[in-house]
Amino acid sequence: MPPAIHIALRFITSRKRSLALSLLGVCFGVAFFVLTQAQTQGFERFFIQTILSSSGAIVITDRFQLAYSGFESGEDAAFVGSSSQQRRKFYDGITNPNQLMRVIRQFSNVRACAPVAQGSVTLRSTLHTEITRAFGIDLPLHLRATGLREQVISGSLEEFRTLPYSVLIGELLAQRLQVQAGETISIIGTDGTSKSFRVAGIFRSGVNAIDEQRTYFHINILQELLEKPQLVSMIMVSLRDPDRAPELATHFENLFFHRAKSWQERERGNLQVFFALRLSAGITVALVILLAGFGIFNILTMSVLEKVREIAILRSMGYQRNDISAVFLWQGFVVATLGSALGAVAGVLMTYGVSKIPLRVRGILYADSFIVHWSVSHYVYATLIAFLSVILASYFPARRAANLAPVDTLRGSGQ
Amino acid sequence: MAKTASSATPVYPLECRDLQRHLGEEETRVHVLRGVSLTLEPGTLHAVVGPSGCGKSTLLYILGLLDSPESGTLLIGGQEVGSLPDFELSQKRNELLGFIFQFHFLLQDFTAIENVIIPMRKLNQLPYEDMRERAAELLDAVGLGNKLDRPSRHLSGGEQQRVAIARALANDPQVILADEPTGNLDTANSDRVFALLRGLVKDQQKGLLLVTHNQQIANACDCVHHMRDGVIERTQHN
Repeated sequence: MPPAIHIALRFITSRKRSLALSLLGVCFGVAFFVLTQAQTQGFERFFIQTILSSSGAIVITDRFQLAYSGFESGEDAAFVGSSSQQRRKFYDGITNPNQLMRVIRQFSNVRACAPVAQGSVTLRSTLHTEITRAFGIDLPLHLRATGLREQVISGSLEEFRTLPYSVLIGELLAQRLQVQAGETISIIGTDGTSKSFRVAGIFRSGVNAIDEQRTYFHINILQELLEKPQLVSMIMVSLRDPDRAPELATHFENLFFHRAKSWQERERGNLQVFFALRLSAGITVALVILLAGFGIFNILTMSVLEKVREIAILRSMGYQRNDISAVFLWQGFVVATLGSALGAVAGVLMTYGVSKIPLRVRGILYADSFIVHWSVSHYVYATLIAFLSVILASYFPARRAANLAPVDTLRGSGQ
Repeated sequence: MAKTASSATPVYPLECRDLQRHLGEEETRVHVLRGVSLTLEPGTLHAVVGPSGCGKSTLLYILGLLDSPESGTLLIGGQEVGSLPDFELSQKRNELLGFIFQFHFLLQDFTAIENVIIPMRKLNQLPYEDMRERAAELLDAVGLGNKLDRPSRHLSGGEQQRVAIARALANDPQVILADEPTGNLDTANSDRVFALLRGLVKDQQKGLLLVTHNQQIANACDCVHHMRDGVIERTQHN
């Protein structure tokens, strides 16, 4: 063992109270960092997973034409755009959906895609009537592109598959209608005629806006109800790497002349809230670690002052400035290593404990307890931050110790 | 580890010429050393005596490379060391010099044997087991063979001083510098330590310079330098 490490270990273990305080500071900082990251990322990731499961990573909707000068609007089209964006003329729905999906499936990042016909229909139970956003889906394709299979909480997908005149109803909508899986409801089409549908299942996406409005039909049945036999309103695209959705959405727009929105763009508002929460937690944790750093700085500075005579003795025996500096840097290293290790263990325990705390969350996601995200990266980043903070806090006392002139101490010392 | 050199001109363990040093600032500035010269021949013991404040300790710190003279020449083992950078001076202190302070100055968090091993660990020329063996021999020589692993803070003042003497000898230095080395010892231990130092100096042709107020110790040395007001007034050869 190099002498500087040996001396550092002895110095640090001989001051047990200071060591405990330093370790406590680093341990608390690391554990707190891990816990806040696990919480904020837990909720954020759960929300993202919910969004991806319900609507895919990219949603391709209306076809558009770029508006050139002299362009005139048609009767079923609308202009949108701004001075910084070229004006576009939009047409409702997807043109040639099967051809589009064939091309989309060629992209390596695309896991699956599914067509959806969308419209408004009226649902009538024995007690209530509700207008719903009807989603006409091709079940096998939709199951590959979304997480619908996992969202069904009562009834069965098999029944939905086998019965053409059946629906899957969002949980909150079903509660308002006071219907359960296996019961029959009436659907009123655009022509005012009423048809009976069996409630094959109830689903819960976790997002209130979906669960209180959405109803799934078979796509051909909905097209029939809406009297639009070719209607495909959108294509939901599931990706292997959802983080790359914005680039691919832009590419799809340029390629297909259809509006394509990534999940990041669709959920910008909610994601900004999560980002703000993460930033807020990050600032809090940074302050905690900074305070721990200040604590260690003070403790090591005090240690240098207390060890002035020892430093002079070591210098008189031939220890160089670098050796003296190393003695104090090693003390910081030991505190950072032990503190990070203890903090990581405390982080695991605290994160586990928090994940068991009951917490009813409804709205943009559905949860009954704190949602945490377990990631090695939290521990790595916490350790890196702790090391950076402690090494910085150790550097200045170490430099001060190295620059002490031994003769000044020896001249003034006595017992 | 004894260092010897053979050449036409004699090489002394330690030699200084016309050392000058001031201490303090402005009106408190004092001319502490006013041209001090002396030579430690191999195998000789030198004592510096004089009243407090005459510059004995300052001379010792300069000779021990812990302080720098403003002018003058300082040679250790025939090599001029006045212009060496700090890290080389540290190396010289570790390899060639053994320093015994007036107040033992042990590292309180370490045991007796660990205190003696510390300079050896820096030199790093022996395996750890050999370092421990040598440290044990040195402590035994100063009468502390039965207190090797005792924390230094649990030793008496005299015992701590003897550990400090063993520590100064750890790297078998060419020059031993001592500031009142036996000041805290009883007569028996004082005699024992002095005999040990004398034996080492004579047998291994080292140089020893000690600062003392003890006339008996001074008279037992080969040369006694009488200092007053920053100069060596006279040198007495015994």
